[in-house]
Amino acid sequence: MDLLELINFYVIPGIVLGSIYALGAVGITLIFAILRYAHLAHGDLATLGAFIALASVTALGVSPYIALPIAVIATACVAVGIDKVFYEHLRERPKIVTVMASLGIALMIRAVVQVVWGVDTETYSRGIVRPENYFGLRIRDREVYTVLAMILLVGGLQLFLTRSKWGKAMRAMSDNPNLALLSGIDNKKVVMLTWVIAGGLCAASGFFLGLNTELKALMGWQMLLPMFAAAILGGVGRVEGAVLGGLVVGIAEELSVLVIPSEYKAAMAFAILLFMLLVRPTGLLKGKVL
Amino acid sequence: MTALLSMEGITGGYGDADILQDVTLSVEKDEIVVIVGPNGAGKSTAMKSVFGLLTIRGGKLLFDGDDITGWAPNRIVQRGICYVPQVDNIFREMSIHENLEMGGFLKKGDLSAAYDRVYTLFPDLKERRKTLAGSLSGGQRQMVAMGRALMLDPKLLLLDEPTAGLSPKYMEQIFQICRDVRDTGVAILLVEQHAKQALAFADRGYVLAAGRNRHEGTGADLLADREVAEMFLGG
Amino acid sequence: MEFLGLVNYALFTAIFIGIYALLALGLNIQWGFAGLFNAGIAGFFAVGAYTSAILSTPPDDGRIGGFDLHFVLGWIGAMLAAALVAWPIGKICLRFRSDYLAIASIGVAEIIRLVIKSEAALTNGARGISGISRPMGDIGYMESQIAYLVIVLAVLIAAYVLVERQFNAPWGRMMRAIRDNEGAAEAMGKDVEFRRLEAFIFGAALMGLGGALFAHFNRSITPEAIDPMVATFLVWIMLILGGSGNNRGAILGAAVVWIIWSVSEIATDRLPPEYAIQAKYIRLFLIGLMLQLVLRFRPEGLLPEPLRGDRGEDRRTSKSGADRE
Repeated sequence: MDLLELINFYVIPGIVLGSIYALGAVGITLIFAILRYAHLAHGDLATLGAFIALASVTALGVSPYIALPIAVIATACVAVGIDKVFYEHLRERPKIVTVMASLGIALMIRAVVQVVWGVDTETYSRGIVRPENYFGLRIRDREVYTVLAMILLVGGLQLFLTRSKWGKAMRAMSDNPNLALLSGIDNKKVVMLTWVIAGGLCAASGFFLGLNTELKALMGWQMLLPMFAAAILGGVGRVEGAVLGGLVVGIAEELSVLVIPSEYKAAMAFAILLFMLLVRPTGLLKGKVL
Repeated sequence: MTALLSMEGITGGYGDADILQDVTLSVEKDEIVVIVGPNGAGKSTAMKSVFGLLTIRGGKLLFDGDDITGWAPNRIVQRGICYVPQVDNIFREMSIHENLEMGGFLKKGDLSAAYDRVYTLFPDLKERRKTLAGSLSGGQRQMVAMGRALMLDPKLLLLDEPTAGLSPKYMEQIFQICRDVRDTGVAILLVEQHAKQALAFADRGYVLAAGRNRHEGTGADLLADREVAEMFLGG
Repeated sequence: MEFLGLVNYALFTAIFIGIYALLALGLNIQWGFAGLFNAGIAGFFAVGAYTSAILSTPPDDGRIGGFDLHFVLGWIGAMLAAALVAWPIGKICLRFRSDYLAIASIGVAEIIRLVIKSEAALTNGARGISGISRPMGDIGYMESQIAYLVIVLAVLIAAYVLVERQFNAPWGRMMRAIRDNEGAAEAMGKDVEFRRLEAFIFGAALMGLGGALFAHFNRSITPEAIDPMVATFLVWIMLILGGSGNNRGAILGAAVVWIIWSVSEIATDRLPPEYAIQAKYIRLFLIGLMLQLVLRFRPEGLLPEPLRGDRGEDRRTSKSGADRE
């Protein structure tokens, strides 16, 4: 197989998938860093975002790309709501209790999706989309938009975290929560901000997964392991790490079919996760170890 | 003249146990007061009680005309008391400038006057203000920690063992900085393990042992006192 | 005839309660005693079920196994296999906080599911393994269920007695000391990592046994036999509701949750067919909600952990004084 085939059939899909993972992984790494637990409902939140976008497309008849901001805002609100109703009361308890609760929330979100939208597979638009040819590289428009969206969203987030007062407050809470409290930083506001960002990014992740493949109730849950692997690979708490991790996991997953049977594609993320925990738990960019 | 800070008969602790028993001390507007005592005397605890980090079961805390007993740290910060913990007192992953910015988080409006004030006190920090705080030396980190606390222009600064783990050179530097800070109109209450050096530079001191007052007086007086010397200034 | 149907249904339910109680006991060792968050229960269940199936069925074309061993050997094999799978996972993940173990265990369960589905030579793939002999399976329908129930209860009681004894023995006290204050336990020279691994493996073995019991009751095992996340979640809420750290709580929780689950199934079966599929997910939603409510309002469960002089507070789920993180 020549280089071009390798790129077209493995690397490009890997980058697209990796961008989708990255969007989810950034949210996971933020929640790890600021709230200090693993949010097991993250994948299903992405599913919810994807389906809310679908609902917007069918109900309002708009293009999926218009539905995306709607889904982002709606999912951000849902995330904040879930925290207020279910997680807030568990804050005084050991963190593992919230992890347990989030497993239940995952199930609940998935159940809502299955009740409201049924169990059939859906898509945003019918028809086959053929890739364009750019000097031998075969890329579909939606693939470009996916990667572009990831870059813009994460880039915007980075600007927020490094330039704005509340973004720095989030970093301060991640860095030293006690000192942040002593400095008068309002914990509740930071937490809410974290959920808004994580929820919004989840929606984008789910949306682009649905856009590039299809929508089904388990789509987000199946992304959970890769998203966590990406976050841990990059280094917990490091946004750039989550992006790097996402891309690595995505590309590795696509490339893996060259060496292992394709049924085990999903095992790649798991292997990466275990490998990192064994060899370098702080991740590539030296994050925290919880 | 009423003192800036007045701790009257404070009894309290963290959980159910009382660590402090009827502790009384005061700090005037332009002075440096140090709390010394043997290990486990409750020195840091006494300081933490001023900042609202303790369960107070008896006594009163008065600051600048207000009764601040039982106030939450957030409120106390806004009232004009800033606290520098002994450990974990900087944001390691943030630059010096960002550390200061977080110190001034509660301030509405422009922070440039506050930055000027801090950078004038710590010129070393100004040069390096984009460096990550975690990569600095111990003495520089302590400066960042103090600078962070000074951003809100407090009337009283609480320092918990600021010279812990520092070389004598940095220790002297920190004491000098304390004097400079006091000269800008900020009162300082600090806890120190290095009793001899601390009493030498402070205006007044309190000796605590087993959670109670034992001695008090000017720094010089306490240094000269035989009982105090026996207690722990031996070395 | 109605009555007979009811009796059979009750027997069926009791057997399932017994099997799930075994799973909950296993989880109690891992979570209740050692504070380990295992979200991959279904994986160990499946390993046990398939191992016993492979060992105790007659030879079949196209797949290995078929050793046609006695079912007891099959069950022992199931426990060993589950323990063998738990060992490397434990070795890698137990050093870290429970969060990482949670993710890793989700991954393990997923890998196991993939292996079961794909390695037809081992597991017969999607078709699964059938023709598993049920002990006392050749007598009448109801009689055979009664007989199996007796076997399940015997296994459950044996497991309960064993675990309960360990709980009260120095081993159990040590486990809980490690769980509640790792630093102090380490300072006392306890090999924390080894003890945790022990607990993890023991719990996994019990889960494997539960899987084997299921396979032999069902007389077959397929990848779709249980919905992995539903089963895993059910066991979790059984333990939390029943009372983590309490062996009787585990069993009680299994009974309560399974009865709620079954009764709700009967109730929703009466709905018109359009709602049939949604019904299952509504039940899932309610079970998930139940967990949130229990965690918030009664985290210690119905039967709290037995007092050991610490005022009976469930350290793992109730308010902690200082934030340990």
